[in-house]
Amino acid sequence: MALWEAVQAAFALLFTGDPVLWRIIWISLSTSMLGLLIATPVAVAGGYAIAMHQFPARRVVIWLAQAALSLPTVLIGLLLYMLLSRHGPMGGLQWLFTQSGIVAGQVIIALPVLLAFTLAAVQAADPRYAETAITHGASRWGVMTTMLYEVRFGVMAAVISGFGRVVSEVGCAMMVGGNIAGETRTITTAIALETSKGEFAQGIALGIVLVTIALAMNGALMLLQGDAHAAKGSA
Amino acid sequence: MMLSIGRLTKRYDSHTLFDLTDFSLEGATAYVLTGVNGAGKSTLLRVLAGLAPAEAQDVQFEGRSVSLSPYPSLLRQSIVYVHQHPIMFSTSVADNIAYGLKARGESHAAIKQAVHDAMSWAGVRHLADNNPATLSGGEKQRVALARAKVLHPRLLLLDEPTANLDGAAREQVIALIPTLIHAGSSVVMACHDRDLINLPEVQRMKLRDGKLEMK
Repeated sequence: MALWEAVQAAFALLFTGDPVLWRIIWISLSTSMLGLLIATPVAVAGGYAIAMHQFPARRVVIWLAQAALSLPTVLIGLLLYMLLSRHGPMGGLQWLFTQSGIVAGQVIIALPVLLAFTLAAVQAADPRYAETAITHGASRWGVMTTMLYEVRFGVMAAVISGFGRVVSEVGCAMMVGGNIAGETRTITTAIALETSKGEFAQGIALGIVLVTIALAMNGALMLLQGDAHAAKGSA
Repeated sequence: MMLSIGRLTKRYDSHTLFDLTDFSLEGATAYVLTGVNGAGKSTLLRVLAGLAPAEAQDVQFEGRSVSLSPYPSLLRQSIVYVHQHPIMFSTSVADNIAYGLKARGESHAAIKQAVHDAMSWAGVRHLADNNPATLSGGEKQRVALARAKVLHPRLLLLDEPTANLDGAAREQVIALIPTLIHAGSSVVMACHDRDLINLPEVQRMKLRDGKLEMK
């Protein structure tokens, strides 16, 4: 199929509401969002705690979190596969080749991204925010919520980056999910499969969805940041 | 005696910044703390505010024996520190002033009334809904004073409250200081400003060579 014909077919699939295509999109978005929903509070709290407190091995924790950013997702998939396989230590959960397994992988993939970005945002914040909160009687929880509010655009960037990483990864979803049609076939695993079959239309359609998501989320962040900068700039 | 500390020492590795004996502050009294740059004025205020560690012995606050580390809630509720360049939370001016009251869990009605009174006192009522990022340096300092005043601190620590202010902005801030003292707070101001140092009924302290001189 020529490229132009494939693109035309891709748009046709998208706009005619092809159920197979939209099922794939739904599985991808729902597992990614759920993974992100689980990972975000843990990673944001962890990133904040590491940024704000001194403790033994702090530098080692930061080093490991940053190293985990560049961990291949296929390796995470391999480790998770071994853990979730029938004879693995977590085999009793029966999550292998299920959406739960994919979500578990997404959580592991998103955690270091969210943690590292939050850590960087809190570390870069003016320490007077925390000091002012403390000396005006805020509790630990109050200081944390104040700080995270002040670095909210950094945290939003963390969440968007985390979402981008999980929605676009293929290795872990392929190994742990198994690419089962209608069950665990995600946007990326579907693109890999269709391309290997030489059928590009669905792959292009799914690629358009991925690009649209990336543009929309980053555009929203830019708009929010633009508003904040405009407010500061008018000082 | 509101606060007394038998011995207060601040060291950086082998260097001793200050080593004070029998440091004390009276209630409802204003103090100016002078000294050359690097003498440790700001550090002393930060130590008293629980923002910097130091070695402290025999600390008494209003007759009760306390420690500076860990910093007890009694001191946290009684002592408020205002930075040389106060930072404003990115909410509104009114919300900034309400911050500490909300942290204390005061009722909505009490917060509203206290914030209204504090804004009137500081002359910032017309700025209530403004984004603090749009304020001038003098306005920020007055909002910071209002934010501290609403908490009725027993001790207010002001680090160079008129630094980098000039003209009317500086005079407006200086005019607020005596009213804080009359409201019952003790105030310690680290400063170089002659007009603050020469305020009537102000006790003068000078940090020199790591020791405190009362004048």
